Formats: sequence, structure tokens, C-alpha cells
Amino acid sequence: MAIEKILKDDASEEKGERARMASFVGAIAITDLVKTTLGPKGMDKILQSTGRGHGVTVTNDGATILKSLHIDNPAAKVLIDISKVQDDEVGDGTTSVVVLAGELLREAEKLVAAKIHPMTIISGYRMAAECARNALSQRVVDNKENAEKFKSDLMKIARTTLSSKILSQDKEHFAQLAVDAVMRLKGSTNLEAIQIIKKPGGSLMDSFLDEGFILDKKIGLGQPKRIENAKILVANTAMDTDKVKIYGARVRVDSMSKVAEIEGAEKEKMREKVQKIIAHGINCFVNRQLIYNFPEELFADAGVLAIEHADFDGIERLALVTGGEIASTFDNPESVKIGHCKLIEEIMIGEDKSIHFSGVEMGQACTIVLRGASHHVLDEAERSLHDALCVLSQTVNDTRVLLGGGWPEMVMAKEVDELARKTPGKKSHAIEAFSRALVAIPTIIADNAGLDSADLVAQLRAAHHKEGCNAGIDVISGSVGDMAELGISESFKVKQAVLLSATEAAEMILRVDEIITCAPRQREDRM
Amino acid sequence: MAAATAAQPRSSKTESYVDNKRKEDIRQANIKAARAVADAVRTSLGPKGMDKMISTANGEVIITNDGATILNKMEVLQPAAKMLVDLSKSQDAAAGDGTTTVVVIAGALLKQCLLLLTNGIHPTVISDSLHKASTKAVDVLTAMAVPLELSDRESLIKSASTSLNSKVVSQYSTLLAPLAVDSVLSVVDPAKPDMVDLRDIKIVKKLGGTVDDTELVKGLVFDKKASHAAGGPTRMENAKIAVIQFQISPPKTDIEQSIVVSDYTQMDRILKEERNYILGMIKKIKTTGCNVLLIQKSILRDAVTDLSLHYLAKAKIMVIKDVERDDIEFITKTLNCLPIANIEHFRAEKLGHAALVEEVSLGDGKIVKVTGIKDMGRTTTVLIRGSNQLVIDEAERSLHDALCVVRCLVSKRFLIAGGGAPEIELSRQLGAWSKVLHGMEGYCVRSFAEALEVVPYTLAENAGLNPIAIVTELRNRHAQGEINAGINVRKGQITNILEENVVQPLLVSTSAITLATECVRMILKIDDIVNVR
Repeated sequence: MAIEKILKDDASEEKGERARMASFVGAIAITDLVKTTLGPKGMDKILQSTGRGHGVTVTNDGATILKSLHIDNPAAKVLIDISKVQDDEVGDGTTSVVVLAGELLREAEKLVAAKIHPMTIISGYRMAAECARNALSQRVVDNKENAEKFKSDLMKIARTTLSSKILSQDKEHFAQLAVDAVMRLKGSTNLEAIQIIKKPGGSLMDSFLDEGFILDKKIGLGQPKRIENAKILVANTAMDTDKVKIYGARVRVDSMSKVAEIEGAEKEKMREKVQKIIAHGINCFVNRQLIYNFPEELFADAGVLAIEHADFDGIERLALVTGGEIASTFDNPESVKIGHCKLIEEIMIGEDKSIHFSGVEMGQACTIVLRGASHHVLDEAERSLHDALCVLSQTVNDTRVLLGGGWPEMVMAKEVDELARKTPGKKSHAIEAFSRALVAIPTIIADNAGLDSADLVAQLRAAHHKEGCNAGIDVISGSVGDMAELGISESFKVKQAVLLSATEAAEMILRVDEIITCAPRQREDRM
Repeated sequence: MAAATAAQPRSSKTESYVDNKRKEDIRQANIKAARAVADAVRTSLGPKGMDKMISTANGEVIITNDGATILNKMEVLQPAAKMLVDLSKSQDAAAGDGTTTVVVIAGALLKQCLLLLTNGIHPTVISDSLHKASTKAVDVLTAMAVPLELSDRESLIKSASTSLNSKVVSQYSTLLAPLAVDSVLSVVDPAKPDMVDLRDIKIVKKLGGTVDDTELVKGLVFDKKASHAAGGPTRMENAKIAVIQFQISPPKTDIEQSIVVSDYTQMDRILKEERNYILGMIKKIKTTGCNVLLIQKSILRDAVTDLSLHYLAKAKIMVIKDVERDDIEFITKTLNCLPIANIEHFRAEKLGHAALVEEVSLGDGKIVKVTGIKDMGRTTTVLIRGSNQLVIDEAERSLHDALCVVRCLVSKRFLIAGGGAPEIELSRQLGAWSKVLHGMEGYCVRSFAEALEVVPYTLAENAGLNPIAIVTELRNRHAQGEINAGINVRKGQITNILEENVVQPLLVSTSAITLATECVRMILKIDDIVNVR
């Protein structure tokens, strides 16, 4: 007796083997897509938007690539999510996490084919992940006490992160920029205080770090172009007449002079508002909305520097860094917090004028001005720099540092292998598989660099058989090298996040034995 | 290649590269698309380069020789081709001139890269070597450059003419080049001697006359006529000029208002009130001694009405209306005055002074000229004339290039020879340098050097000379140490190009090479095109 219909029209159901197959295939396809971007010799991708304008992005950043993909496979979506989380949490390693999860699944697929129950695989993976984490935390270097050494650690990490990006040629310069910016933050992970401004023109080497804040706006006409010891009021208020906001409100008058009076009253209201603002004892006024000609002139007469139409982001940061608050009413001058800075002046960046606030209240604040050949370069440079900044700010908090270049993976793989040998039962297969997945990362790095990966990884494994070895892949010379000597370091926090989230994601996908696709919502305007 | 790898045996294993089919296809497609773009503008390079006619989607026709403009209008879709378009825009922003050169160099580099890729060299190795080569190239160029003093007007004019010679308006280069030099020099701020803001140079285009009539105006030019509505004055000596941002018209409130008229006498009264209101304003204006009004365009209400124009005419005040808000800053800077936003603030100290404001008839239109401005700000105006719109537009673009050239010289005071001389010299020196390098690097640098020969080659080709003969001859002369030997397109032979006064700013050449390299490196590193939302 057949049951006619359980699910709605168009909804589908995939069960057991087929469901698992679909997840594996989806996840592995995603992995294969991004894996060529891994490592210092990874390649870039063009993202061509199918939306309006056919915008083009060139990037090497895993999170950016994955974020913008069209995906219809549920398992692939899980991987994209972990890459997003990685991006939010630690900022870097977005490609690694997806690649590791993908490799774990690839191994799991083989085990499932060999009739090992997914639950056994999962528990094996868990044990392996735990063991790998321990192995890593035993080998960390922590230079928290030694400021000098710690700074050089930061430089190394910055260089390593940047070397896989577009900034690799000028990594020394940018590593210095990033480290300086992060050191100014003094331990806070609030990257808001680091402002990145992109200006086309010049070359990447012309980029610079500037203390203070730069607002890409113009100073009103006839107003002072330079103010020392500025008191800044940041506001979001309409500077035209306060309109009656009731629809259809209108006044009836019976003569022209009355109209003139009303107009006069409106002007008077504007003047009052301006006077209230000036009464705060300020000499710089920044508004998010437009300041019209009339108030602008009033400000100019009062010698107040008025900046109109600053964007949302701009005023929020400005309020943050100058220690002020965004005000929208001006009746109680004492309750409004006014921002301070030592000097406001107009500067030229490239061809454009900007307003520079230096000596701001919040000493951590700084601005990085990026210069580059085109918007593509600048956007990618910003993404790369952002990654570096994230990693560095995380490292300042968690000062544990590891070596890079496939070294952590080999260390983990070795420990995990040992665990596999000690573990009785089917789980040991899973643990072994985990170790193979870890080794896949150095393999891919070598492959991307056009090296003989099988040979190199074998050499690496042999080298790691000795205790306390620092061997990793030296992509530049194409051989096994001492990572400590080459100054290739990674943050422990990033590696740990990669390991744990990849394992979790793989586990989640493995547990799936049924995929139910709901009927898509009907849309008429579909092509 | 075997010889190159022998020096460093290990590199044979490390730098080779095995590509899979798809990646290779994508890279090939990118390079081909980018080269197609480069080929499209190739023929417009140099003094004998040809122009392109572009008919845009809305039926407009543009004739130009300017690489940036051509590419901008081409509406390419392929992502890599788009990057080349952006490249030319960047060159436009960075140096203003050499927008064709940069694309041609990028195209030639890509051609060489394709060859290197088929030899199995890893793209990142090519990319790194290109970077090294370009840094070296900039050093070589800097060593070749001749320093320049800003007081040396002759040299400045020479380089401006080199840029103008390749344009449609080349026959006017004797007029336009000094004009460009003078206008840039007049806006240089002594406080910041190496900064030039081209926005301080206003270009006004007016149809009629020929390009010969183009002139530099020490003062302001408005491309509109003075208001004639009520027979107001059109010429004013000893002008006191006010820039106003309010309106001389019946009041209008932001709140919706309506006047209720119930009988005939009331209507009369309203009319009278309106008249008095305007008269009151005009009297206030008159008392300050102001005799020229520049009125900002208003969208909310009429800036002036017939009535107010009539009264202004009676009060002998010249009126120029509909000034754009964006122009206000330039105007106030030039006139050294302050904008006035309210009639209450109309005071004599906010006025600007000029010896003469006059309306001039030009062709079929009229313009207003303000000259003899007291305490004039560091701005200048160029009035371009031409027999048709196409010529005027092209003249503007060419003048812009020439201005940029002079600006480059102000910010980086070095000159370099033109006519393909620097490229050949670079090619020679880099070629020699490549022999000292080890491994794949040397091979890539040699390709870079070869790619640079495309500039003299194309110059010769466009001039109808035998490119191969010319390029080999050039190489020969350079090998003998004549580093300034270049193609003299007019004579069709090779001469010392510095003596021929064909010079260009160093910044144009260096930025062309660095930008082109950066763009090529980016294209090389791409191995996939992903369609996204």
C-alpha cells in the first residue's frame, strides 16, 4: 500500500546513502574551489557579479570568495558558514578552515565506504582533535614577558599572513603598518579605531599610517582651515528649518508681508539653532546631514568650522575617537559630551583634500591610508590588511605563537598518528584518517607552489620524526626548511580555531542522514 | 631555459608549474581579452597616431585620441579587459598623460607572459620577477632623467607640446602649450610648491571661432549672459561683486502656505506688498555699493523674478543668475570674497572687487568676463573656442593632458626624453641585467625588456616607418651609448630626441611602467572566474 503524498509539491527528500553522498560531494566541491588560493603561491579568483553592472572583484581571501558564491547544496552552506565565523572570530585562516573540513570529509567518505559507522568516525575525529590541540598547545612559544621579542613575533605573524596576499611584495612595509596600528590599540580588539581610507593613485608603497583621524570631506566656505585645541560637536540633525512633520499642514495668511514674516521666523529658527550649537563653546561642528548655505554662513561668521554631510560611519568613528557623543538636540549644553582634539587641518592625499584630526582623545585611534593602482588593488589590499590586523589584535590578547609553513599540521599529525596506534577498535581508523587530512594542508601548499608535494611531505614527515624539529615547507626555495630561522609564524588562536571549527563542521555534516528540501516559494518574476 | 637553470640546479624542481586544463583556459582567455583591448588603442599612440570615432549608445559621437577616453567608452564586459580599462583610468589619475602608452605596455607584457606560461613557469615567479624588473626600470629611468627648474619656462613648454603633438589639436600646440604652462604656474601655491590642484583651473568651453582663439583669462569667465530682461547694465567698471545664495523674489516658506484673497482691494495690496518687499531688499543691496550680483541657482523657488530684475536694472546692478552651487567655492576663491546667504548679512566687507565686468559677444553666444580682480586668489580660467563641439571637447581633453603633464613636472621636477628613447634604453639595460640574474628570474626579466620595445615599435609603425628597421637601428645607437636617441617621427629617422625638444615628465614614464606591471601581475595571478551574486 503506497502512501500517496507526505511532502508538499516540489519538496524533495533524500535519504541515507544518497543524502550523505550529496553532502560529501557538495563540501568537497567547495573545498576544491578555494584550495588553489591557499598558501604564499596561491592564486587569485575573479568574482564576476551577475547582478547589475557586472562588478568585478579580484581576491585571494577565502571568506570573500565563499560569501559571494551561489550555493544550493546544504552541506556546502555549512562550510561557507564556518568560513564566515572564522572571519568574524579571528579574521584569518578562512581558507584553511574550509580546506581542512573538506579534507576531513573526503577521508570520512572513504571510511563510510569501508562500512564504518559515521558515529564511530565522529568519536574518532573528536579524540584526534583533542589530541591535536594538546600537541599544539605544548609546542607554543609565548613571549608575553619580553616586549622586544613579542614585537618581532607580531612582525613575523604579519609577514606570514600578508605573504599569501596581494601585498606580498611590500609585506615588510605593510607588516610594519599593521603592527604599529595594532600596538596603538594597547590590547583592545576594537578594530573600529583603525580607519582604512582607500585613495586610488600612487603605488602600494605610498600607503602610510597616520595617527588621528581623517575625514574625507570638505570644510565649509569661508571657515577657518586650521584649528588648534578643537572642541568638536558631532551631531546628526537637520539644519534646515524644523518643519512641521504632519502631512498636509499648511498656514493660511492674507497678505504677502505675513508670508515674509513666516519666512523670517523660519530663518530665525535656523539662527537660534545655530546659536544654541555655538553656545556649546565649540569651534568645530560635524553634522551627518546637510548644512545649508544660511547656517554655513552663520558658522563662518562665528569662526566655527562646520563639516556637512559626513557619512554614518564617519561620524560614529569620529565620536568614538574624539570621545564625544552624537547629539541631536542642543537645549542642554551641559549634558552633551563634546569631543576634543589637538589640531584640525586640511591635508592633501593624492589629488583630494581631506580633513585631518590629530591628537585625538582616544590615543589608540589611527588611520591607514592605502594607495594603489586601481580600485581592484585597493579593495584587495584592504581585505588583506584587515586580515592581518585581525590576527595581530587577537595575538596581542592571546600571545601564544606557533611556527607556520605546514609545521603545526605536521606536529599534530605526528601526535594523532601515535594516538591511533594506541587506540584499540575501529576508532583508530578514523584517527588515522584525521592525521591524513591534516597532512593534506602542507600537500596543497606545495601543490599550489608547483612543487613535488609527495616528495616534500615525505621529507617533512621524516624530519618531524625527530623531537623538537622546526621543519616546514619553504615555498620560496622549494625545500624543507627551518621555520624558526625563516621567521614564519602563525597565531595559536587562529590555528586552534581552524582545527576546532573544521572538526565541528565535518562532524555536523557527517551526522546528516537525510536532506529534506522544502518547496521553493513561488515567485512570479523569475526568469 | 636549460642554461638559465643550470646556474641554480635546485630551481628546476621548484619553479616549474603544471597547470590543469581549466585554469590554463581561463588564464589564456583573460590574457587574450586584455590584449584585444590593448590592440584597440594601439594605433592611437604617438604623434602620428590615428583617432577613433566612438558613437555612444545615446547617439553622441566622440572623436578622440585619448586612450583613457576611448577605453572608458568601450563598455567592455570581460573582467580582465575591464582591468585594463581601469589601468588607463589610474594612469589618468596619477599622471594625466600616457594613458595609451600604459595600456600598450600592459598588452605587450601579457603577450610575453603567455609565452613564459607555455614554457611552464609558475605565474607567481613571473609576477615576482616583473615586480623586480619594474623597480629596476624605475631606477634606470630616474638615472636618465634631467632635472628641471620651474623657472625654466622653455622646458615646461616643450614637454607640454610633446603631449599635445599626438592629439587632434597638434597644430595649435604652439598656442596651447604656453597656455597650459602659464595656467599651472599661476595656481602654484608658494606655501606648497609641489602641489597643484587642477580644480583651480577652470575650463570654459564656448562654441564658435577656432581653437586659435582660445585664451587664458586672468579672472573669471561665465558661460552665460548677464540678465537682460529689463535692460540692466552689461558692462561695469570698478565692479563690487556680491555672491549671494539667497533669492530676490517673493518670500516662500518651507511650510506649505496659501494666501487667501477675498476681494479686489486685497489683491492690490498683495501686489504692492510684494513690490515693496523686493524693493526693500534691493535698497539694502544698493546701500553697500554693490553693482554686480552673482546669484546661486535655487531649486526651491525662482532666484530672481521679472519684477526683481526690473528693479535691479533700475538700480544699475548687473545680474548674473543661475550660478551652480559647486562653482561657488571657485568663484569666491577667485574673487576673494565671501558668499552671502541672507539679506541681513549683506555687508560691504563681503564683496569682491574687480576692475571690469563685461559681457562679450562671442560667435552666437555671449559670455561674461570678470577681469582686473583685486587680491585675486590663485585660480585661473581658460576659455576654449572651437568650430564645432567635437573639436572643443577634444581640445579640452588635450589641454587637460597638457595641464597634467605640467603638474607632473611641478610635483616631480625631472624630464626625460620622449620618442621611444627611454623604452629602448630600458630594454637594453634590463636585457643586460637579466644576464646577471639566476634561474627563471633572468628569463622573465628578459621578456620584460623585450616587451618594452613595443613602444618604439608602435610609434614607428603608426608613423608609417619600417618598425623593424627603426627598432634595430635604435638598439644599435643605444648600444653605442647614445641614450637619448629616439624616433623623430617628423623626419622619419633616428635623432637625438632631446635636441628635438621632445621631452616628457619622468612621472608619466615611471607611473606607466609601474602601473602596467601591477595590472599584469594581478591578471597573472588569477586562475578562475567565479560567477557570484
